[in-house]
Amino acid sequence: MLKFSEQQELLRKVVRDFVEKEIAPIAGKIDEEDTCPVELLSMTARLGYNGVFTPAIYGGTGLGYTERAIILEEIARYSAGFAMALMTHHLGVAAIQTWGNEEQKKKYLPKLCSGSVGGLAVTEQGGGSDFSGQKSTGKLVDGCWILNGRKCFITNSHCADINIVTVKTGEDEKGRPVISAVVIDENTPGCTPGRKEKKTGLRGSYLGEVVLNNVKVPEGNVLGKVGDGAKIALGTIGEVGRSGMAAIGLGILRACLEDSVKFSKERIIYGKPLAKLTNIQFIIAQNRIDYEAGRLMTYNAVGMKDAGLPCTPEVAMAKYFTTEAAVNAAKRTTDLMGGYGVIYDYPVGRYLRDAVASIPSGGTSHVMQLVIAGSELKK
Amino acid sequence: MEKQHGEVWIITEQAKGRLNEVSFELLGKARELAAKDGLPVSAVVMGSGIDFGNELIAYGADRVFLIDDPRLALYQNDNYAVVLENLIRKYSPAIVLFSASYCGSELSATVAAKLETGLAAHCVDLYFNEQAEFVQVVPAFGGRVLGDILCPHTRPQIASVKPGMFKKPEKESEPHGVIMEESAAVLDHYESPLKALRVVQEQPVGLPLEEAEIVLAGGWGVGSAEVWQSLEELGRELNGAVGCTRPALDEGWTKGEHTLIGVSGKTVRPKVYIGFGVSGATHHVVGMKDSGVVININNNPEETVFQVSDYGVVADVKDLLPVLLKKIRKAKEDRQ
Amino acid sequence: MNIAVCVKPVPDPKSYDKITINPETKLLERNKIPMVINPTDKHAIEAAIQLKELYGGKVILISMAPPGAKEVLKDGLAMGVDEAYLLSDRFFAGADTFVTAKTLATGLKKIENFDLVFAGSESADGGTSHVPSQLGEMLGIPHLNHVMALVMEDGILKIKTKIENGYMDYEGRLPMVLGVVREINTPRYIPLMGVIQAQGKPFTVWGLNDLQLDPAVVGLAGSPTKPGSLHTPPLGRKVEMLDGELEKVAEKIIVVLHSAGLLS
Repeated sequence: MLKFSEQQELLRKVVRDFVEKEIAPIAGKIDEEDTCPVELLSMTARLGYNGVFTPAIYGGTGLGYTERAIILEEIARYSAGFAMALMTHHLGVAAIQTWGNEEQKKKYLPKLCSGSVGGLAVTEQGGGSDFSGQKSTGKLVDGCWILNGRKCFITNSHCADINIVTVKTGEDEKGRPVISAVVIDENTPGCTPGRKEKKTGLRGSYLGEVVLNNVKVPEGNVLGKVGDGAKIALGTIGEVGRSGMAAIGLGILRACLEDSVKFSKERIIYGKPLAKLTNIQFIIAQNRIDYEAGRLMTYNAVGMKDAGLPCTPEVAMAKYFTTEAAVNAAKRTTDLMGGYGVIYDYPVGRYLRDAVASIPSGGTSHVMQLVIAGSELKK
Repeated sequence: MEKQHGEVWIITEQAKGRLNEVSFELLGKARELAAKDGLPVSAVVMGSGIDFGNELIAYGADRVFLIDDPRLALYQNDNYAVVLENLIRKYSPAIVLFSASYCGSELSATVAAKLETGLAAHCVDLYFNEQAEFVQVVPAFGGRVLGDILCPHTRPQIASVKPGMFKKPEKESEPHGVIMEESAAVLDHYESPLKALRVVQEQPVGLPLEEAEIVLAGGWGVGSAEVWQSLEELGRELNGAVGCTRPALDEGWTKGEHTLIGVSGKTVRPKVYIGFGVSGATHHVVGMKDSGVVININNNPEETVFQVSDYGVVADVKDLLPVLLKKIRKAKEDRQ
Repeated sequence: MNIAVCVKPVPDPKSYDKITINPETKLLERNKIPMVINPTDKHAIEAAIQLKELYGGKVILISMAPPGAKEVLKDGLAMGVDEAYLLSDRFFAGADTFVTAKTLATGLKKIENFDLVFAGSESADGGTSHVPSQLGEMLGIPHLNHVMALVMEDGILKIKTKIENGYMDYEGRLPMVLGVVREINTPRYIPLMGVIQAQGKPFTVWGLNDLQLDPAVVGLAGSPTKPGSLHTPPLGRKVEMLDGELEKVAEKIIVVLHSAGLLS
């Protein structure tokens, strides 16, 4: 049985209070204007959300991925777009926390927990899932890495203070690329945001290019060892990224469920509430089923992660399920609302766009299926 | 019906050298309560340099207790309560009515605690039932529910009433009453650890809501400060007063908290009330339920406000207001 | 400084319009409305914590409520309060404000002598605003209600209280009971650290016997006021909808104004 502890229940209540007061009232506006309310990331830092799964000795809150999922679900219920900004920040935190050496952890984690925004830049023109195809380079010159290249479709591109980038640092004996993960400190010259994309969904976070133009960082800024880039990037995105997306999809599912119930109770048609119609009840039932299934899959996956169990396929399944289900739930909620479903003032249009936009993040649904099948076929 | 016993007292309130209207409203209600069995009605005035005895007798007080002492120049809960406790123990009234203003609420609570007796807060009605019990009707849950309160054993029975809840009575055709000066000597043995320094009160400009024949109330549906300005203009055209609900107040569109209509604000009973974008939440409606004609404009045909209206219009406030303004201006021109 | 904050769990005010009276039993139907900390009490807790942050000391929470209130009091602990006390007993039920103040005072005296006792000026459900004043009387210390600003300078409390269209200024000294209004501060959002720390903070429950009170002086039995019947205010009117184009509607409204004796 899925059961949250008393502390987790109180945590959810407390996060919900913050979200309802600070995020819900501006959710429509940030979607319409496609802005990222970066000042909210300072507030969430002070409240301990930014370092939720980081140990207290590094300035974090010392909780886990379950609590992080609760936070992302609560935020995404109103603004999946802003939830993306926090979700992505956590990628930077997780990469350093898991693969950084003691010196790096002591240097970066306290900052990331207290207000500096993190980012993870992997994807390039050549492809995101085609990891080894990346062309950005890192050359070791006089004890410093010189980084050059162009990353695209990077969330937090225009607000990340501390960036972790993957670059090709060499080739192995067989001529295959050696890719490393490198931390770029705040205000390092040469590392700048480039083009800003206009997304159709998940508006409320920046998506854009990160340009590396002779960025000079100390040799010690490599995360892990030279050549660990794939392990770190895919490991971070694999579990931390996708579990975050699962929670975001779950938030959208809950939004569809709650709004469909509220609308059907209030809307009077043929002299009775819409909720009396059987076809409407079918829609509500399906929204509920999707939310319930998504909830169980997501919290089971992050529960495994908190218990230290490998959970890549579980996380992939949860992400696949909640994001695809969110698209369906948003579509059927739009149908339920009739004409009102396509009026801009009603958020269901945003839920649909956000759900569609969450599918390519952290790997598309097709990639998720490959991961899941791969895990099955290996048995 | 059983017979009632004892005296009914009212505790007056004053500001800037004048008695507050609530003092007369309480007096009117006290007279009504006392009428059947001819119970005496007394008014209590505390302050420094006060001279309101005849005014209160003109409105029906049989007796006015004047306690004039420099220590009572400014309201302060302990000094006032010590004096009142002393007076009440001396004369043992059956019923004491206070204003449920900020100060009156605090004072009545303090006095009730000192006398170890019951207190019913911001009563919406007061009457004697068939068994001659004093029934005090109070709102709860934002006015959603009304409850009867009785104080069967302890005396006096104390009730507080919000200004504007009851009507100011007519003057007595044959006023008769006595003024009795009482001393505040009980304060000689009391050294207050508190010190009231000053009162700062602004008289709000414009027609008070309680006096307007037509009240326009703006709610959340007004939508913006700009549209609110049109509402104020309409108020001026109609020689009415503009009030608000809590959501509009919280948005900062209004002239201030003194224009709030409802359980935590003012009670109005104009000839005509027109609500603009008001949802009809109970805590607002209880503040205007005694209005003559009620018209409400709201863009949601299912809004609860239409269940408490005589006339309803489904429209966006921002669309209807300019049209209404134009028509009313024209109607006034045509009259001339 | 030793500070106490009196709090009351109330049904969530956002749902008051859902409350009904059962036509047969004539009893209140709360329709599963969740309980929350009385909104104004959060401002009282914030005021107490701010003083603790300035002057050091301890803040405790005290409430007279049914056992289920423990959940609600956890919020206060998470905000930064150090300990919580719940006075709970079936004999306390039905208490009016006089007896509530007496019970709270008894609990407070059992803990220690406080420098300051805060409370929200009024509760969302009953809304009497009596308890702060009556609590002060029961504790035998000076009290002020509707406090909107508070500053301590050289051991003197400078207090501003809210009145209609203005305020009053007072000076006072500790100890005092202060009922606060929401204008006094903005309650902080609860940080996650607060949630973690709340779990380990002392939570004490006391009943009638712990307070050594007689059943006759608490609850409904000890209340000078007794509740009578409940009714819903008769607010309904029969509506006539005015339809048509805006111009036509405006004209119809003017007709209504004329018949009410206005605009003529």
